[in-house]
Amino acid sequence: MTTVGIESSQSGIPTQERRAPVKAGKVALWIWGIIGLLFLFFPVLVIIAYSFNSGNNLQIWEGFSLQPYLNAISRPDLLAPVGVSFRAATGSALLSAILGTFAGIALARSQKSRWLPALVGLLGLVMVTPEIVNAVSLLPWFVTLGKDMGFVIFNDGIVRLVVGHSLFSSAVVTFVVRARVAGLNPQLEEAAADLGANPLRRFIDVTLPLIAPAAVSGALLSFTLSLDNTVLSSFISVANSNSWPVYVWASVKSTLRPEIAAMSTLLLLFTILVLVIVALVLVRASKRTGGDDANLSSMLG
Amino acid sequence: MSHPIAIEVPPPPLERRRRGTKKFRWRISTLAAPIAAYLFLFFIVPFGVILWYSFGFKPSLYGTHDNSVLSFDRYAEVFGNADFFAIFGKTLWISIFGAAVTLLIAYPVAYWMAKILTPRSRNIVLVLVLIPYWTNFLIRTLGWQIALNQNGFISRILQDLGLLNGPLEFLYTNQAVQLGVVYNYLPLMILPIYVTLEQLDWRLLEANSDLGGNAISGFLRVTLPLSMPGIGAGLMLVFVPLMGDYITPEILGGTKGTMVGQLVASQFKTAQNWALGSAMAITLMLFILAVVVVSTWILRLGVRIAKRANRIVLPELVIEGK
Repeated sequence: MTTVGIESSQSGIPTQERRAPVKAGKVALWIWGIIGLLFLFFPVLVIIAYSFNSGNNLQIWEGFSLQPYLNAISRPDLLAPVGVSFRAATGSALLSAILGTFAGIALARSQKSRWLPALVGLLGLVMVTPEIVNAVSLLPWFVTLGKDMGFVIFNDGIVRLVVGHSLFSSAVVTFVVRARVAGLNPQLEEAAADLGANPLRRFIDVTLPLIAPAAVSGALLSFTLSLDNTVLSSFISVANSNSWPVYVWASVKSTLRPEIAAMSTLLLLFTILVLVIVALVLVRASKRTGGDDANLSSMLG
Repeated sequence: MSHPIAIEVPPPPLERRRRGTKKFRWRISTLAAPIAAYLFLFFIVPFGVILWYSFGFKPSLYGTHDNSVLSFDRYAEVFGNADFFAIFGKTLWISIFGAAVTLLIAYPVAYWMAKILTPRSRNIVLVLVLIPYWTNFLIRTLGWQIALNQNGFISRILQDLGLLNGPLEFLYTNQAVQLGVVYNYLPLMILPIYVTLEQLDWRLLEANSDLGGNAISGFLRVTLPLSMPGIGAGLMLVFVPLMGDYITPEILGGTKGTMVGQLVASQFKTAQNWALGSAMAITLMLFILAVVVVSTWILRLGVRIAKRANRIVLPELVIEGK
């Protein structure tokens, strides 16, 4: 108390009066923050708890059982949509990473281009277009391409999902990579040029390794976005190649079984694993190149 | 061996190198060609297709669209339809109210993360915010459906405690949809605000208190204006998908339509009227685009006014401090 008194006499303002509300404010923020986190976790915990439901209906708790998990990993009708989801997510991650990385480099490096600003506007438009609008516009277009024009590849369920899911993700990857390239030290490439490296070598040996973390985290982000996609998928998917969310969506209309919660819990564990990998990749990259670790937040785009 | 090579290959002369860079620049803008082609084929053209459909009509019970006669009739139908207007208004209200509530909940959370927490626990909390966000959107919403069910555990607990006489009548109401959207889009509000607050130079707050300002003036004059970009980004990130949301109202709002997304979907899925559905989708998209453009403009104006106001206020603070 005495030390506090000395401090207050120095600053000229009574410390207790000044500090007390600040401390109360801090406590209030802690409470608010923790309640916020509990709110965010609440339905997730509900799903995890109900995934151990022994009953036939997910919504009505009957007793504890591990049967839903055994069913989830053994029933082909549950595993097939998860397989479709993973294949579509892999394709979407690759497509978005390739398109987005190239575009991100172009946007960050090209100064005199007339059409690139238009592309930025277009990418922005892609990001603000509601998914339902993309869904209803892609459905007739895929039918036209596949049935009327004879591009049979677009009758394939996975191809449709990959193309549809990459719309939003490739825009996100573009912006993530652009930010990374813009933050690069141009002297590194100049040094390579001084040492006689041609543009292609410079790109492969210097630029690409430096932007790889952004491209990889962008790809993983596209992967999880694709796994999550429901609205677009439910419109464009083809019978017999439904993705996991489409399968769940269809079950909502009939009966939800506990297996669905069990499978979702397993997928959540997988997502956490991916998230940890992304975090590690970014932390390692920022340590190596001295970049800021705010990249973790840029994962959202 | 190394000596003659060193003579044969001298570092490229400056002029040649420059030309090389120029050539590289030209190639670099073509790197964006694949995404441009992709977006043209799967974003612009499909959008053009539904724009075209929206000028057509539904020919018969089984036909989905016909463009033999072009008109603006479908738009007249959209704007003349009382149901559409009612649901559009409801959607707009849910979106505006939802974005506002989300902001009020998210700001203190983001502030807590950026200012109060240590950098180490900050990253842990960031991951904790991201985990529910990366849980499947549909599954999260189903979690609420289970919890809020008439026979669910919340209903039972409230009845056991005597706080409720009958079962909980909350699911399948507009309030349930409102709760669901606030929940679903909360992380999209927390994260951008957190990012701006994390980059904020907190010494500015110290400067404010050195100049005689108190905590409230520090918040209103320093923290809040400087976090405007994050707030703006958060409002955009929440409002845009919220306007087009289709899953939350379907699961928590029940069978009666509560939001525009459901109307658009039903025209394509059940009514099989692609012409009207297209007109609705385009109306929705143009509306969202207009909101985005106008609010970006207002936000920029607001930031400019705030900056100007602060410039006037600062000298007064100096005098107060003395």
